[in-house]
Amino acid sequence: MQRERYPEWISLAADAAGMEASLSRRGFLMLSACAASSLTALGLCEALGAGSPLVILDNAKGLILADPSRCVGCQRCELACTEFNDGRAQPSLSRIKISRAMNFGPEGPTGGPAMQGTWGTGLVVQSVCRQCPHPVPCATACPEDAIQADPKTGARVVNAKRCVGCRLCQRACPWDMISFDEESQKASKCFLCNGKPKCVEACPSGALRYVPWRDITREGRPNAATLTALSAAKAKACVECHVPSGRKSTRR
Amino acid sequence: MTCDATAAFTGAAVEAVREASRQGRLATREDVLAAMEAEGVFLSPVGLEAEAQAAPPEGRDALLAAVLATAPDIIAFQGLSGQTVYHAPDLLSRTYARILDRKGSPLLLMAEEIRANSRDYPRPVPVELFGAPPFGLAPEEIEQALRGMAASPDYQDITFTTAHTGAVYLFSTRHLEQSYAAFLAQRAESLVMNP
Amino acid sequence: MTITAGGFAGKVLRVDLSTGKISTLDTREKYGAMLGGTGLGYQVLWEEVPAGTGPFDVANKLIFATGALAGTSVPCSGRTAITTIFPSCWPKALVGSGHMGGQFAAKLKYAGYDAIIVEGKAERPVWLFIRDGRVELRDAAFLWGSGIHRTTLEISQEMGADCAVAAIGQAGEKLAPLATVVNSLSHSAGGVGGVMGSKNLKAIGVQGSGGLRIAGNKEQWERLVKFHLSILGANNQHVVPSFPTPESEYYNPGSRWVGEPGKRWGAARPPVEITGSIHDMSRIAYRTNSAAFFLGEQAWKHTVRGNGCTSCPIRCHTTLKVPAMATKYGLDEVAQGTCIALNFGRFFFPTLPGGPKGEAALEACMIGMNMADDMGIWSNYGQLQRDFIKLSRDGVFQAKLGSAEYAAIPWDKWRAGDPAFLLDIIPRIGERRGELGQVLSEGSGGLFGHWGISEEAWGADHATTYWKMGHPKHHANEDDGQCGVIINTQYNRDAQCHSHTNFVRNGLPVHEQKRLAGELWGSPDSVDAPGHYTRMNKYKAQRAKWALIRKELHDCLGLCNWMGPWVASPLKERGYRGDNSLESRFFSLATGMDLDREELDAAGERVFTLHRALTIRDMETVDMRAQHDHVPRWVYEDPKGAQPFTPGTIRMDRDDISRAMDMFYEVMGWDKSTGAPTREAYARLGLVDVGAALQAKNLLPEDKP
Repeated sequence: MQRERYPEWISLAADAAGMEASLSRRGFLMLSACAASSLTALGLCEALGAGSPLVILDNAKGLILADPSRCVGCQRCELACTEFNDGRAQPSLSRIKISRAMNFGPEGPTGGPAMQGTWGTGLVVQSVCRQCPHPVPCATACPEDAIQADPKTGARVVNAKRCVGCRLCQRACPWDMISFDEESQKASKCFLCNGKPKCVEACPSGALRYVPWRDITREGRPNAATLTALSAAKAKACVECHVPSGRKSTRR
Repeated sequence: MTCDATAAFTGAAVEAVREASRQGRLATREDVLAAMEAEGVFLSPVGLEAEAQAAPPEGRDALLAAVLATAPDIIAFQGLSGQTVYHAPDLLSRTYARILDRKGSPLLLMAEEIRANSRDYPRPVPVELFGAPPFGLAPEEIEQALRGMAASPDYQDITFTTAHTGAVYLFSTRHLEQSYAAFLAQRAESLVMNP
Repeated sequence: MTITAGGFAGKVLRVDLSTGKISTLDTREKYGAMLGGTGLGYQVLWEEVPAGTGPFDVANKLIFATGALAGTSVPCSGRTAITTIFPSCWPKALVGSGHMGGQFAAKLKYAGYDAIIVEGKAERPVWLFIRDGRVELRDAAFLWGSGIHRTTLEISQEMGADCAVAAIGQAGEKLAPLATVVNSLSHSAGGVGGVMGSKNLKAIGVQGSGGLRIAGNKEQWERLVKFHLSILGANNQHVVPSFPTPESEYYNPGSRWVGEPGKRWGAARPPVEITGSIHDMSRIAYRTNSAAFFLGEQAWKHTVRGNGCTSCPIRCHTTLKVPAMATKYGLDEVAQGTCIALNFGRFFFPTLPGGPKGEAALEACMIGMNMADDMGIWSNYGQLQRDFIKLSRDGVFQAKLGSAEYAAIPWDKWRAGDPAFLLDIIPRIGERRGELGQVLSEGSGGLFGHWGISEEAWGADHATTYWKMGHPKHHANEDDGQCGVIINTQYNRDAQCHSHTNFVRNGLPVHEQKRLAGELWGSPDSVDAPGHYTRMNKYKAQRAKWALIRKELHDCLGLCNWMGPWVASPLKERGYRGDNSLESRFFSLATGMDLDREELDAAGERVFTLHRALTIRDMETVDMRAQHDHVPRWVYEDPKGAQPFTPGTIRMDRDDISRAMDMFYEVMGWDKSTGAPTREAYARLGLVDVGAALQAKNLLPEDKP
């Protein structure tokens, strides 16, 4: 039983990270948040209970950084994303999003002197997937554990085989970044193109860069009405770690 | 030297020229040797035989000259200073290399550029060209150079035409006749009114 | 939402404004042979609009059509053609097209449509709502009388921020022949706005969530797209930078490739400096700055960024911010435009304080871009302004306008070169106010028709650059000798062909151009040095044919003829060659219809020939040579008396041009004496029915007595 090996692995991991040998599950999760994804690959999450819901703890390694002051509104990023990945020219499916703010800025067609976009100040504010840290809203909302961390880049990726097209991830993303492919009835999101993002390559003004990940979720306002509906199993998993301070986790 | 040593030497020499070209500079053999020395080429055991290592500077220089003369992607020409200068044309074009070489002499810089334009395109060039990068000449320098050309028998072919906008264009009568140069200057000035 | 197989969106939308009926047709089934764009437009006019229909008659139709490559990442593929009976064509309105870029073409494709056929006339002002499969006519009373800026804002509030809106302003509402349809702020289609106004159609708003499937292998597609990017130059496919640089053997001070490292978009916050290699694929957008090209160095500090059509990396529209616009003129600080539209304001003034690249010129351009593209006024490629200047100088305004109207116009401001003059004259023309507004907004034809000015007089004046049928030259002999002349004879408005001029102005030395020309058109003699023209030869005729057919092809595929064809490139390692088969390679991969260059060019020739047939039919004469393919007098004269074929003149020779037309008709397979396609020419191109219809009207050259 894998669970019997749990203390061994924790001890190994703790040694490697220079932490105390004996860890609560909560401590393990803290460790895991900073650890290399190989820990996750070892299936340690699953070691904590067969059938436990997937909880992405590791951060992504890379991030697409967008500079609005360089964006020229050509949409080549959106087209590269869908054409070169899906063989279709379909900006509505693109995982980097320009069209929505290109004309009038993030606030929309308000008129007035502060309006951005082509019809306003000229500034085009791009929307990129933040590859959110834990808790990853889209992944957390997914009842099928279909959104997973890519082993190479840490990108939060929709596993199309597991996706059932319920769209809860779309409802959960605060920036409305999840695309939905009506043809295949599957969700789709930015997966960093295996470490060589096609949008970055396609941008003719260098407005996009692929950089080491950092948490940008507190920058830029959320722009969607969100609903995170958690499955009961997921909610239970959350509560296992998120115990009141000072109390021990309900898990060993 | 052994084949390997020659190859290593050549490689380092070519790379030094290329690096200079990358940075927008022409390289003399002195520059190349200094770069190679800074890279430690003459210190590390890259297979240079003892005699090459111990060779006097003139020996190295002769070796370098021979090597660069036959390097396929390196151009050599006699610079204004009298020294041979080198560049890699894929990184620093022939045209630009000549401009760089002549920067020390505004008169030659302007005259040869005017002649090249009249010969190669063919077209006259606006005098403003020489105030902008990479020429970067001050108005006084331009004026002085033009006076110098007018006064010198070697530059009697350099002359000018004034377009209807008042813009002055320079050309060489060796390659362009007055009326055609005037037409081309007029045309160049009219492009902004003919979108 | 639709995702269709292969490039085309698949459907043509038909909107009958008289009945409100909305229907669709299958694009390829009905219009496949004509590809799309102008081809589709010409087919609709041929089949559905009777000869003799006037531009503002209810029977006229307005066909918005893009092409198979629009909406994809093919560089420079954001174009829509708007084909109709063209109002400013004088004395009799004939087939013509306006062309616009922006986002409209791509959005239309994503909504599932390759074209919209607008017919009939609505009882009251309406606008057309298109969201994927949902198409409705909505009441436009609240928009009628508004400019294009507000119209776009309010429709976007109703539809959503990501819609594309093509609208008319006051000029189109008032049926001005010089009215545009504008989308995406500064992308205007000339001449067609009044037709839209005559149908009570204020705007079309399009939104689409669909996609276009690339039929071919997506890795191959990606490689081809990247190849195309690698051979791009700057605006107008100028392949040589305007500045000496270590990265290039050649430079050309007259080039539109002005983005030298070290320059910066000064009005970006913070300013964006141009850095890196000029050939870097992530620096393409910095090569072009149209404002700097036309208005000089001062434009850089006012440049916010480049802008332009969907998918195009060139960004030939410049977004400018000039704070003085608000303080001095009460207008928006930000405006955007390129080329002739950028120059709309400046061109009204014979002189400006500070000269053509001074501050007054900049302000005049800002006013022009702002107001003309809001009211939807067309300059007729600058003819409006040239006519204005000549009429002023000749005292015609003083003679023709009533004293009250004349006195109300601030002529002192015009003489002083005060840009504020435009605040009076532009709305005067856009709203068709008074005698001046009414007549000038008709185009040059208005002068001939209403003020008794002779077309001959206009054609004899070198400064007007008038060509024929109410329109000016557009890259004629001043750029490209006989080739340019031939091209300018062929249309019913100014030629709008740039295939030839993109090449001759690309900045390469003449000897390099001739070398490439030899490969492309059979001989280095197909191209001359500018103003150093040699006598006509068959290779120039071949090049003229190529230029015209490629222009039509681009207009059918949604490609930009201000950039293509891409037959030269900046790449020394390619011998500065581009690729003459790029269009067919893209078309084949996108659609899955495997056509080589010759086959696709044949389709372009088919389209061009149908335009000829329409012109013949609607002019009711087969004698195109004598009645249509005119060359104005000034082409055969030189102000200094220089002889043709001497260096330094653009003067052409009548006999030589006659021979040029002979050779052109020959290379087209048309009858030499009439310049009309023969029965065989129609048949060869799959236009047998067209030939038969013309035969029935005695409009085939073989049937001429």
